Amino acid sequence: MLTVGGLISYRALFNWIHPAIYIPSVLGFPMFQILFFAYLGRFSGLRDDAFFVTGNAVQAAGMAGIYASVFTIGNDRFYGTLGPLLASPASRAALFTGRALPIVANGLLVSAFGFVVGWAFLDFDPPLASLPPLALIVLVSAFATTAFGMLLGSIGLRTKDILLISNLAYFLMWLFCGVNVPLETLPGWMQLVGEGLPVTHAVEAAREVVDGARIGSVWKLVVAEAGIGAGYLIAAFGLFRVFEREARRHATLETT
Amino acid sequence: MRVLRVVLACWWLNLKNLSRSAFFLLTAVLAPVLLSTIAFYMFQAGGRPGTLLYAALGSAVYGIWSSTLFGSGGAIQWQRWGGTLGLLVASPAPFVFAVAGFTLATATLGVYSLVATLAWGTLLFDVPLHLAHPALFAVAIPVTVLSLGLLGLVFASSFVLYRNANALSNMLEYAVLLVTGMLVPLSLLPGWVAPIAWVLAPTWGIRAIRDAALGGDPVFAIAMALALAGVYLILGAVLIANLERLARQRGTLSLA
Amino acid sequence: MSTGVLRRRSAEIEAVAGITFAVEQGELFGLLGPNGAGKTTTIKVFTTLLLPTSGAARVLGLDVVSDTSQVRRKIGFVFGGDRGLYDRISGLDNLRFFAELYGVPVGEQRRRIESLLELVGLRGRERERVEGYSRGMRQRLHIARGLLHDPPVLFLDEPTLGVDPVGARELRDVIADLTAAGKTVLLTTHYMFEADALCDRIAVIAGGRIVAEGTPQELKAGVSEARVIEIEVFGDAEGPAAAMRTLPGVRAVTVTTRDQAQLITAETDPGAELTPALLAQVDGAAVGRVAVRETTLEDAYVALVREA
Repeated sequence: MLTVGGLISYRALFNWIHPAIYIPSVLGFPMFQILFFAYLGRFSGLRDDAFFVTGNAVQAAGMAGIYASVFTIGNDRFYGTLGPLLASPASRAALFTGRALPIVANGLLVSAFGFVVGWAFLDFDPPLASLPPLALIVLVSAFATTAFGMLLGSIGLRTKDILLISNLAYFLMWLFCGVNVPLETLPGWMQLVGEGLPVTHAVEAAREVVDGARIGSVWKLVVAEAGIGAGYLIAAFGLFRVFEREARRHATLETT
Repeated sequence: MRVLRVVLACWWLNLKNLSRSAFFLLTAVLAPVLLSTIAFYMFQAGGRPGTLLYAALGSAVYGIWSSTLFGSGGAIQWQRWGGTLGLLVASPAPFVFAVAGFTLATATLGVYSLVATLAWGTLLFDVPLHLAHPALFAVAIPVTVLSLGLLGLVFASSFVLYRNANALSNMLEYAVLLVTGMLVPLSLLPGWVAPIAWVLAPTWGIRAIRDAALGGDPVFAIAMALALAGVYLILGAVLIANLERLARQRGTLSLA
Repeated sequence: MSTGVLRRRSAEIEAVAGITFAVEQGELFGLLGPNGAGKTTTIKVFTTLLLPTSGAARVLGLDVVSDTSQVRRKIGFVFGGDRGLYDRISGLDNLRFFAELYGVPVGEQRRRIESLLELVGLRGRERERVEGYSRGMRQRLHIARGLLHDPPVLFLDEPTLGVDPVGARELRDVIADLTAAGKTVLLTTHYMFEADALCDRIAVIAGGRIVAEGTPQELKAGVSEARVIEIEVFGDAEGPAAAMRTLPGVRAVTVTTRDQAQLITAETDPGAELTPALLAQVDGAAVGRVAVRETTLEDAYVALVREA
């Protein structure tokens, strides 16, 4: 769902640009996505606004994280400096926090904005007590999607098509994460795929919390989301090492 | 008439060009198919099964809209990066007709989405393909493509003239999907949305196609789409003339 | 075509600051100058892609600013390079497209495309996608494109740049034939020998100004008869050069670097046998090759451009 303008602005996002580009692409887009699906939900008679607001807000935050990671990792220059950075576990941690922090912060902002939109324009009125747990859930989800994005980014760098990869990721999340269709109504195999992706458990947890559940009753979902994120992170780092070793062997670290 | 030949030549060229871009085809076909899938599931789960053809058609028009937005927004920019912009401008034919040909091609690509969504729906979701007014349906489609393609002309020029308009393009995708009633009936939206919808070609396009398929009066909608097409052509011509003048002043017609 | 005093100033740079020249019908006129001299800017003004900040440019009596569409019908231009073609479609399809764009009558199109493909030597490769073309092939396709609508005036911007020597020679033959066929051609280049070989008249442009104008013979004569002695020196060249300048009969001495050595180029009066005297000034440094020759257009060009 990324037009050429969006592509450029996402690259630029990493150079911290202009609100004139950030606001429509990073905030405007999810806003309309939320509104669209909420209304579609009303039309189809499926669930209530809260269902769609939570689903799409969390997914939008996730996508922001994925796009941002994919474009950071997929950026050749970054990859070129990646090799030495992966040398030790300490530097790996530093690398991750350094790059991931702004992405995660951005994800939080996007989801918060999404909730505000839902509250302002739709029938979304979460109890105040649900806000802290919601923040936690979104934080964990942001971590998981950033990790997922890092994995996709290194694949994308290899295939030299980061735009395609990030769009495919968007479509994946659309369909399999139970964002707009309750997971249980999807065929079994789709549910399975969804359970392996980030965002799915976070969305479920967020919905329960908004409905009044306490954080205690959804901790399993939060842990699942965190675990998925950790898994993707390990895979991402593993893949970096593989690609980097290969690139050194074939002297292809600087891809054109 | 020579003008018509120029439009056709540019249309054919861009159509070939775009059809050979795997990425473009993927976005033009995959996105609407996925949207229709989500819509089908939502309608089924929410208990609105009679509207499956409705969902398929709405998604198809979304496909035409998406490829127009994506393809036209960047149309002039791509020519510049490819070094062919100067050639087009300095040719005897008025530049606006060349651009119109290009943007019409992007809308035409949306026909792939129409075929794909209908085929997908019929094969996997048993969508009934019974058309109430087949002849008018056959008219409604090219009229929709024409009016959307000329809307693309307006985008192509304004996105170059006004850099910030380009950033809006991401946001527009869902915004227009929502506001023009492709999948969510206008009656569900607040009243003030209606006038906005009326000046957008997709509103009339989907209405014409839907009425022709499901029963209703497509003729008025077809007429409105054609009228809007005329307005867009004039607006586009003015913008393009402006664009050309500025580009000649600033020397930005080629990157060389 | 002609220009009034043409100026083109953008926000920061004055690309062309007051050039005036006129080209006669049927002439092959060369605009010769180093990169950044303003050649491409000048051509862009003539091809209606750029508006002059002041002054006027006319092609066939038509003003490029006020009679734009008429001018566009009568000119062809070739900017060359790797861009400017549609990569994902074939050379033939590219030509067919541009033929429509330029308004070539439908009945004429096929015949003309075929003869142009023959002319530029692309016959047999036209159905391949342009993305597979070599630089030289692209250049040739550009030229074919520029000639599609049979324009009476043609602008060629560095047409042999990046083309292999054999291909370049063939291209030059094609260009030479164009004026034989009655076309008027304005060519830009930074290859002196190309300008010398092809052009009826040349204007040397440097730093946005015309520094000399005339036939190749006139320009060479302008540098006047002189002898050029080139001495390759390893080590300090400025000292000997300064000493050489003081010798009688020596007109000018310049020092340039060529690979590992310094090249002292001394321009002397014809007839004076100054080689031993010059070599005496290089006392102490190692000397490589020594050459004595007459002035060429290149010397004239270098001298003119350096002064600018």
